[in-house]
Amino acid sequence: MATELPTRATNGGPKNATGEENFTVKTGLARMLKGGVIMDVVNAEQARIAEEAGAVAVMALERVPADIRAQGGVARMSDPKMIKEIMATVTIPVMAKARIGHFVECQILEAIGVDYIDESEVLTPADHAHHVEKHPFSVPFVCGCRNLGEALRRISEGAAMIRTKGEAGTGDVIEAVRHMRTVSAEIARAQNMSDPELRILAKEIQAPYDLLKETAKLGRLPVVNFAAGGIATPADAALMMQLGCDGVFVGSGIFKSGDASKRAKAIVQAVTHYNDAKVLAAVSEDLGEAMVGLNVSTMDAKDKMQGRGW
Amino acid sequence: MGSAGRHMDITVGVLALQGAFNEHVQLLRVAAKILEAKDIVNRTWVFREIRTEAELNSCDALIIPGGESTAISLVAQRSGMMEPLRDFVKVQRKPTWGTCAGLILLAEAANQTKKGGQELIGGLDVRVNRNHFGRQIESFQADLELPFLQQADGDELKPFRAIFIRAPIVEKLLKHVVGPQTDEEKVDATVVAPSRPIDHQVAKKIHLKGVEIMGTLPGRAAAIKEDETKKLDAEAGDIIAVRQTNVFGTSFHPELTGDPRIHVWWLEQVVEAVEERKNP
Repeated sequence: MATELPTRATNGGPKNATGEENFTVKTGLARMLKGGVIMDVVNAEQARIAEEAGAVAVMALERVPADIRAQGGVARMSDPKMIKEIMATVTIPVMAKARIGHFVECQILEAIGVDYIDESEVLTPADHAHHVEKHPFSVPFVCGCRNLGEALRRISEGAAMIRTKGEAGTGDVIEAVRHMRTVSAEIARAQNMSDPELRILAKEIQAPYDLLKETAKLGRLPVVNFAAGGIATPADAALMMQLGCDGVFVGSGIFKSGDASKRAKAIVQAVTHYNDAKVLAAVSEDLGEAMVGLNVSTMDAKDKMQGRGW
Repeated sequence: MGSAGRHMDITVGVLALQGAFNEHVQLLRVAAKILEAKDIVNRTWVFREIRTEAELNSCDALIIPGGESTAISLVAQRSGMMEPLRDFVKVQRKPTWGTCAGLILLAEAANQTKKGGQELIGGLDVRVNRNHFGRQIESFQADLELPFLQQADGDELKPFRAIFIRAPIVEKLLKHVVGPQTDEEKVDATVVAPSRPIDHQVAKKIHLKGVEIMGTLPGRAAAIKEDETKKLDAEAGDIIAVRQTNVFGTSFHPELTGDPRIHVWWLEQVVEAVEERKNP
């Protein structure tokens, strides 16, 4: 991890009933996931494979992004029954996705007891302008971003963890890299600014000034930041780690590949030993077919999920 | 660095296979500054992230951080680290501290593990109950009275604000046995650590004691659990910090607070242990 996340960094969220931020508890779980891999799974059997591979958490959803993309239609929150089966099967944290702005799906996921909610652009958005107000929930949220402004708007709404979006369901890492590099470059630029300049920047990128100022001071996002969207190989995962993210989400990349278990284990090893090219070489060997990729550069803008979210 | 002080260099590793290892490094640095201010001995602290056996072998003491204990355990096995860790903790008996996931890995027995169980390092004769309080929405903060933080100068002891995240507790103290905890193996859904006898030379300097309770969480279980049996247990409080000779475990996360007191205390224990080991 390129830059440290100070142990007392908070986003200044509202106090709870006892006059204390419970944001520490929400961001705390994200910190425990650092250096790990969160894997998309569609049933209990896949969840067990992910757990055995060393995943730090699983994301329970009905269709992986590659299938949502192929099948089209409206993608919604998964059936609670299926999420509960996964929760009953594994002992690692279970995350689940809600549509952007769909706070009732979030209420349902909280009632089931999922450990984290992903307010995700992979599902079809439910609100054209609003994201969910996340601070009032007890369950923590992770949200996607393409740039610093988007990240800070989500944190301001209460996201306790950020993931750079990438382009889900493609197996093409270029967008994940673009978004990670964009966030890093914008933070680097902000670090060299005076307070008046930061106020202008805050307006430009539509981010709260206080959060922008804290980010500039820290030299990194004030919450844990994972990479997502297009990671398909151990090398992809290590690339994202070397670019400074705290861990990775792998969606379609595992269970749309030839040997899911072997690939999952290899990606887990790659995230731990991301700076050790010898380990990376060893775990990259003989993994079988990677997922069939979709080249993002030939995609129409309307087919991209990353533009969802405001 | 002068040669006079060199013999006092102490290397503390933080296992960096997965989890909140960097947070420990940050608080160790804060703790070292506090110790420097009150220490008269010339000492250089080295804090490093540990991912390989060679890195582990350079350490005088080790922290196993919070994270997902199943992930840390599996990555340790696949990285060839499980046996070196058992050697470090149990055979060489070097000072080790585990927080949350680290406490689970240092336990000789654990329950509520994943299907098929999980590999443990061991070193603490206790049985831990994983995810004792439940899922993330049951995670919480609480003030703890930790008597071991009482300083000799007698200042009033301030409570330690502790963060519990999907935390385990110590549900049973076990008698130390020669060999593995075979009685525990018979307990339903419980895994035990393999036995590794202490090195003969090390055993001459370190007298392995029983497990001491270093902290409890009073009343919590009574407040949140409905069923009567749990209520009875709660009278005594849940055990959330233990020590056995120089292996220490906490079920909460001091590394997520800005409070370095436990890190300061632990580094003082490390100094004592390293000095004892060096003296003939």
